[in-house]
Amino acid sequence: MQCPHCGAVLASALGCAQCGRLLDPPAELSPFALLGLSERYALDGADLRQRVLRAGRLVHPDFFTQAPAAERELAERNSARLNRANELLSDDWSRADWLVGARGGPAENEQRAMPPAFLAEVLEWNELLEEARGAPASPGMQERLDSLARTLAAERARLLQAVASLLEPLPERGSPRLAQARTQLNAIRYVDRALSEIEALSLTRASLR
Amino acid sequence: MGYIELNVLNAPTTTPVTLALGIDLGTTNSLAAIWKDGRPVVLHPEGKGGLVPSVIHFPSDGMPVVGREARDHAVADPRNVIFSVKRFMGRGLKDVRSELAALPYRASETERGLIQLEVHGQKYTPEQLSALILMRVHDLACQALGGQDVRKCVITVPAYFDDTQRGATRDAARLAGLEVLRIVNEPTAASLAYGLDQRDKGNVVVFDLGGGTFDVTVLAIEDGVFRVLSTAGDTHLGGDDFDQLLAGLARRELGPLHGSALLEDPGFQQAIRLSAEQCKIALSTDPEAELHVVIPAKRVSWRRRVSREEFEALGAELLERTISACRQALSDAKLAPEKIDEVVLVGGSTRMPLVRARVERFFGRKPHTELNPDEVVALGAAVQANILMGGRRDLLLMDVTPLSLGVETMGGAVSKVIQRNSTVPCEATEGFTTYVDGQTGIDFHIVQGERELARDCRSLGRFQLKGIPPMPAGMARVAVKFHIDADGVLTVSAKELGTGKSALVEIQPMHGLTDAEVEGMLQAGFAHAREDFDQRRIADLKTEIGTMAQATEKNLNAGRAGLDRESIQDLEEALAAAKRACTASDLKELQRARDEFERATLPLAALLMNNVAQKALMGKKLGDV
Repeated sequence: MQCPHCGAVLASALGCAQCGRLLDPPAELSPFALLGLSERYALDGADLRQRVLRAGRLVHPDFFTQAPAAERELAERNSARLNRANELLSDDWSRADWLVGARGGPAENEQRAMPPAFLAEVLEWNELLEEARGAPASPGMQERLDSLARTLAAERARLLQAVASLLEPLPERGSPRLAQARTQLNAIRYVDRALSEIEALSLTRASLR
Repeated sequence: MGYIELNVLNAPTTTPVTLALGIDLGTTNSLAAIWKDGRPVVLHPEGKGGLVPSVIHFPSDGMPVVGREARDHAVADPRNVIFSVKRFMGRGLKDVRSELAALPYRASETERGLIQLEVHGQKYTPEQLSALILMRVHDLACQALGGQDVRKCVITVPAYFDDTQRGATRDAARLAGLEVLRIVNEPTAASLAYGLDQRDKGNVVVFDLGGGTFDVTVLAIEDGVFRVLSTAGDTHLGGDDFDQLLAGLARRELGPLHGSALLEDPGFQQAIRLSAEQCKIALSTDPEAELHVVIPAKRVSWRRRVSREEFEALGAELLERTISACRQALSDAKLAPEKIDEVVLVGGSTRMPLVRARVERFFGRKPHTELNPDEVVALGAAVQANILMGGRRDLLLMDVTPLSLGVETMGGAVSKVIQRNSTVPCEATEGFTTYVDGQTGIDFHIVQGERELARDCRSLGRFQLKGIPPMPAGMARVAVKFHIDADGVLTVSAKELGTGKSALVEIQPMHGLTDAEVEGMLQAGFAHAREDFDQRRIADLKTEIGTMAQATEKNLNAGRAGLDRESIQDLEEALAAAKRACTASDLKELQRARDEFERATLPLAALLMNNVAQKALMGKKLGDV
């Protein structure tokens, strides 16, 4: 990527570190490309954060308060795009979800299947959550919830590992691995919902104490 | 000759590099600061404090008065003294009914759901009232800057303020004739003031308990970037609520003695309020303090000792609400308390020992209290103002939106469009379609909050999409873009995509003041406030020149012998010019004449200072000095 104004090599498609100008990349440019990354699942979190902070320094509206209105608006828009890209890339689930979609794999609402072995466990977990919702706060129940949270966290790590091996290297368009990755992603969705419910239940209990 | 000494001590005056104010518009106090000589400083005119109580008194005749003078009228003229207007910013009557019950104001609502407070039969929106406070703060700040009129500013708001409350703050500034460069969250500003950028990496919690609001913010600092990870809070929890606990105690014990008529009396309510506040403040330093209500006219004379233990027991529940917000913020930031490297206390209410102790216990570390908790937000706003004016590029704030943004669905549920704690600016696009053939408009309801049902969230109002080209039901595809800007303020825009060529769809916001209303208010009475500001400034300058002239005339003869002819001539000319300027009322000319006069008095002042110093030293042994 090169800056159309000064020709410098760009670290981010949103702004040029050399001449300080804001750029207006096409709307369809991928979040990876916005930050000068190649499209793949594996990602170095620290490197991403560095890139985001560096790009933030180029495009944040704080640095354009004295600029003409059009430029101020572009700074707002570019910062919003940067933040959206960061949100999408920094989260393993969203990044995988985006890659599956970009390769023409099934979307979340097109394929709702979860791994069969996982479903059996879901029934058991749901029972405990159901019980916790109605039960008064008690140390025993909190103990069981904490234990379930640990099980779910371990399960999540295992599922993510499976996603990583399905998406790395990135499958071709039409590969069955895309649908398989979606199945794993659906299971992660369930785990995340269950985890946030446990957290909400625990927070309410903590504030009642 | 007091002024001459002061001038000597202050000279030479340096003009600040950046000219934008940082303003903390608080529930109980407001304050301005500016970046000067490499650091933020609080602005206060010579001999006056900079902290302006956010209180307005409307005398039956004449201009409204803001600040300490206004607060002094609270008991004598309770219905015409407005406190805590920030609590009403961007709210409707139903949001603040419980608060209004404890306050002696008459209030009503506009047809657009905006609250209005009534004084002398005149209705004022919180925006107008806040504008009066801002004008006073601005006025004092300009005096402190030697008459320089700085209109650009950064204004702080509680991190937990929603879109409507932020918009109201921006409108208030417009009404006050100020140009808002940025709305900054109070806790984020505070972290800047603490100079935490010196630390290359770390996690910081800012615990901000102000007069009427509570915020807790978790930030990660890395390479000069202050990235807010999460924020939580309560816009209806602050020092006022602790006052109310003591006021409640007084009411409960006084009621049986004097009857309910007294409890309803506005003067009595204000007296209790002020006494409760005093008692609370005293309890921060003393183990025991007095709560007293003495109103001779009503034959009330009541005193009672309150121990710190008793007060802390009353306040325990409020305090736990702050701690559960801390838990929420940490959980959102995915950090455990032990991962926090620094805790910063902000807001006057963190002076209460019970607050400090509870925060320390929860985070397991001693919080920072080095900076004055009343000033730290304004100082941080001045740092941000300096960044925005191009003063420095090594620091950057990345803040978040405190509440999820959603659209009400058919069944009254909320479909979230932007999640809470998303870094701003951020945007999201949502698709809408028509349900009836030939439908040209779509109404939708935008809310902010975390609850599942729209009616439990804060309504930002109903928006109308108009001008959709007529087509069969379901064919129109309207893309509505929600953009939350760096101020945390929402703008909505829409495009119709179904027809292939994208028609711009008109959007009508249904909340807050409309631009036309703000314009109208500016043109009506409030515009005159600007002229009033100039008039006041002119009067101040004339007085100042008068005092200076008197002192000069008094001291010139004594000093004549020690000065060279040129200096004397220079001073006499400047004196004459300043007196001439006083016969007219040209602000610029007066300012110039005063500055010129001040410069000309410097040799005389230096001489007098020397004489005074010599006299003072005479007759003293060297060792005493």
